[in-house]
Amino acid sequence: MRGHLTTPDHGVMDPAPALYMIRINGHLGATVLSAFPAMAPQQHGGHTVLTGLLDRSALYGVLAEIEALGLDLLEVRQLTPDGKSPGSGDSRSP
Amino acid sequence: MAHATPRLIDRADLLAALDRAAARKVTIISAPAGSGKTSLLRAWAGRQGQRRRLALLQVQRNQQDAQQFWLALLDAVRHASATTGRAGPSAATPDFYAPAMVDRVLSELDDARGDITVVIDDLHELNSPEALAQLTRLLMNLPPPVHAILTTRHDLRLGLHQLRLAGELAEIRAADLRFTGRETRVLLDASGIALSEAGAAQLHQRTEGWAAGLRLAAISLAGHPDPERFVTEFSGSDRTVAEYLIAEMLDRQPADVQDLLLRTSLLDRVNGELADLLTGRPASERILLELADANAFVVPLDPEHTWFRYHHLFGDLLRLELRRTLPEQVPALHRRAAGWFIRQGQVVDAIRHTQAAGDWPDAARLLADHSFGLTLDGQAQTMQALVQAFPPGQDHPELALVRAGGDLVLGRLDQAAAHLAVAETYAATAPPDRQRRLQVAIASLKLSLARRRGHLAGVVEQVRFLASPVTGRSDEDIALGSDLRAVALMNLGTVEAWTLGLPDAERHLQEGAVLAREIGRPYLEVGCLAQLAFASKIHPFAMTQRRCREAIALAERYGWGTEPVIAPALMTLASTMVWTGEFDEGERWLRRAARALQTDTGPDIGLLMHIVSGMLHACRGCHHEAFEEFSAAEYLRSRLAGSHALASQVTGWMLAAQARLGRPGEARAALAALDDERAGSGEIRNACAVICLAEGDPAGALGAVQHVLDGTAPSIGYVTVVEVHLLAGLAHRELGDQRAANQVAERALALAESDRLVLPFAMTGSRELLEALPRHEAAHAALLADILDVLHGSSPAAERQPPPLDAEELSPGELRVLRYLPTNLSRPEIAGELSVSVNTVSTQVRSIYAKLQVRDRSSAVQRARELRLLAAGRPR
Repeated sequence: MRGHLTTPDHGVMDPAPALYMIRINGHLGATVLSAFPAMAPQQHGGHTVLTGLLDRSALYGVLAEIEALGLDLLEVRQLTPDGKSPGSGDSRSP
Repeated sequence: MAHATPRLIDRADLLAALDRAAARKVTIISAPAGSGKTSLLRAWAGRQGQRRRLALLQVQRNQQDAQQFWLALLDAVRHASATTGRAGPSAATPDFYAPAMVDRVLSELDDARGDITVVIDDLHELNSPEALAQLTRLLMNLPPPVHAILTTRHDLRLGLHQLRLAGELAEIRAADLRFTGRETRVLLDASGIALSEAGAAQLHQRTEGWAAGLRLAAISLAGHPDPERFVTEFSGSDRTVAEYLIAEMLDRQPADVQDLLLRTSLLDRVNGELADLLTGRPASERILLELADANAFVVPLDPEHTWFRYHHLFGDLLRLELRRTLPEQVPALHRRAAGWFIRQGQVVDAIRHTQAAGDWPDAARLLADHSFGLTLDGQAQTMQALVQAFPPGQDHPELALVRAGGDLVLGRLDQAAAHLAVAETYAATAPPDRQRRLQVAIASLKLSLARRRGHLAGVVEQVRFLASPVTGRSDEDIALGSDLRAVALMNLGTVEAWTLGLPDAERHLQEGAVLAREIGRPYLEVGCLAQLAFASKIHPFAMTQRRCREAIALAERYGWGTEPVIAPALMTLASTMVWTGEFDEGERWLRRAARALQTDTGPDIGLLMHIVSGMLHACRGCHHEAFEEFSAAEYLRSRLAGSHALASQVTGWMLAAQARLGRPGEARAALAALDDERAGSGEIRNACAVICLAEGDPAGALGAVQHVLDGTAPSIGYVTVVEVHLLAGLAHRELGDQRAANQVAERALALAESDRLVLPFAMTGSRELLEALPRHEAAHAALLADILDVLHGSSPAAERQPPPLDAEELSPGELRVLRYLPTNLSRPEIAGELSVSVNTVSTQVRSIYAKLQVRDRSSAVQRARELRLLAAGRPR
């Protein structure tokens, strides 16, 4: 254990970070994009797609930020390298 | 130059919808940021013909402190029901128990008698799951005329299914809040914007009727040379609505206004002085006032318009823009703000900004240095939130001090001790100018810990350290010193009272109370007086009861009538009533004390609870329950480090109860296991006598108590002596010596006369013994009659009670005055608090006395409590 004094969160072990794709209506300008430093933006038609590697807490943090900024959330999708749906393997860290 | 724009337009349909919804018990308005929820509430509240009183609360950003939330709600309810007169806004306390707080809110709502609507805005900002759970309980238990309206950005887990099933839950959602095309045109007209039908329709379509979007657009459109072009460009852009329009709005502001908005966006709230400080330019106040006039995004927080905040969405975007365009300025701005807050004595804000600046070591130092004062101010949860904000990788040993404080509040004594050990190691290596401060803070926590564990030696050690003169260089240091001294006196007096019951306890507690009053720490004053009430147990009951009632009255004045701090006084009062045979009244006080004691404040007070409960059961002949209670007390006593003042009493009564249950053999075995010193005390010898009597050995009983009768056995107090005479009497009766029995029974009555003790007679089952006494003895005839009444099953207080009074007979004005009677305010002072004339108060008081059939203030208070006319006495 590290020498810090905080008590860690109890409960479920945080699953390893996964790749997420989040689609938002409208083009996000530089200002709003700066609220999502962990995500890479791409414009697709009238939408903005943010992609990034997020663990569970970070994902909910991003969603909370989207809510706070009044953005129009269209889609949240978890991606895997081979395109299959996740959840088939053991996601516990060593 | 911003044009004046009316902030709210009349959206009659929406208001009507809210009217319909608000007819149900609970209305939830759930819609995303910027949908216009708050504006709707303000329009609804402010319109003509609004007859309901509103208790309005807007939840602070990221409110993690449940106590702050509830206190704010309580104040809102008080404001709405116009009850004046408490000492300012309600004060936070170090031990906070949410259910008791909810009871207080409910009881205020009850007292308000009428249509009140509780309005809570921004409920999603409440980041305390426990508070949310308690809120559910509040909503499910609202008095019939009270309704609630809640607004939130997302649906909450409130568990109001039952209300929904009963059709008492209404919802207003985003779709309902959207501006219609027609309302869009009304908004444009009201803002003096000349736009074609097509243009208005385009605007409506682009914003999708989103309120924030429309208002932002209106700001930019007002006075725009070419509104149609603006709308066309806006519609043609793919940028998100908020970003586009805020950028537009900012661009149109003069440079100094832009700069102000950006730099102050990192504050939760802003005033002219702070804005001047962050911009480095004067006259910011005027800019803020103009902005507040011009649009709904800068909101004044007080009637004088000195403090403002930004609409959350607006502020969030500004903050992002600040970080993007002036990143190197941000830490410096936070530091400047922190400095300002420190100078104002607002430590929590200062710490937050120091953390935001990334100055973690400074933040840790600030937090540790102020942790003691913050705890006394009832900011424990806020402190824990601040502690948790530190990044996990870093090591800040001074935070161990803060964590220890948090552990103590939650009753986690072992963790507290561990953290204190870490803190001590750190303090030894700290630079000399801080060392004293840290050591003092550590000593005060160790003091608290020692008190909770009943460890007198530990307490005395700490107190000696703390009592050395505080050579403070600053006012802050001196104040800290006084705070510490008051806490030290309280803790020392408490431990002395609980373990040795010495007169030292009374002296220290009285000194503590006086000091606490001087330095303006009402919580400590109440704490000292409550413990003093307990320490008075060895005095005549009249004095004890007086001290109890004084402490309780003071606590009630601050709204702490059911807080753990006053529990010792409540319990002691309950116990004196049980001693004098007022079992029902005593039970009521006991129940009130139980409610106040929900947080685990340690084995010492729990022990007292069990003792008094045991006494009650034993007097009523419920020996099985009595035995359970005394056994529980015995167990708690064994967990205390150091001896306890009531130790032998607890053990003695436990063994006696066991014998009376029909298990004398077990009792005798337990008796044999005691060491000689304990076995020699008066209380244990009495228990031995009870065992002998249960075994059918009256001669053995007499032998066991010989030393108690002749006064050579140590006893806690004279009540043991009363008991022993009765036991001897019972033994003599069995041996056939009626004369001797009468003699000791008379002696017992004589001893019991001054305090009018009833308990020993009830506990020993001395009914027949007393009935055999010749009744013509005038000296104790009254007491004898009372005791026999109790033993026959009717309580003496019940006999004196006049027929029950219908509480409705007291008018609202009289009830308001009645609530002041338990305090020590004089009639002119009460008149001042209620803003009426002294004559009015006098008339009402006379009327109250007449209706309650009493002749003085304390009787009126007692009667009022019996009839549950005082808010604090109301059960739930």
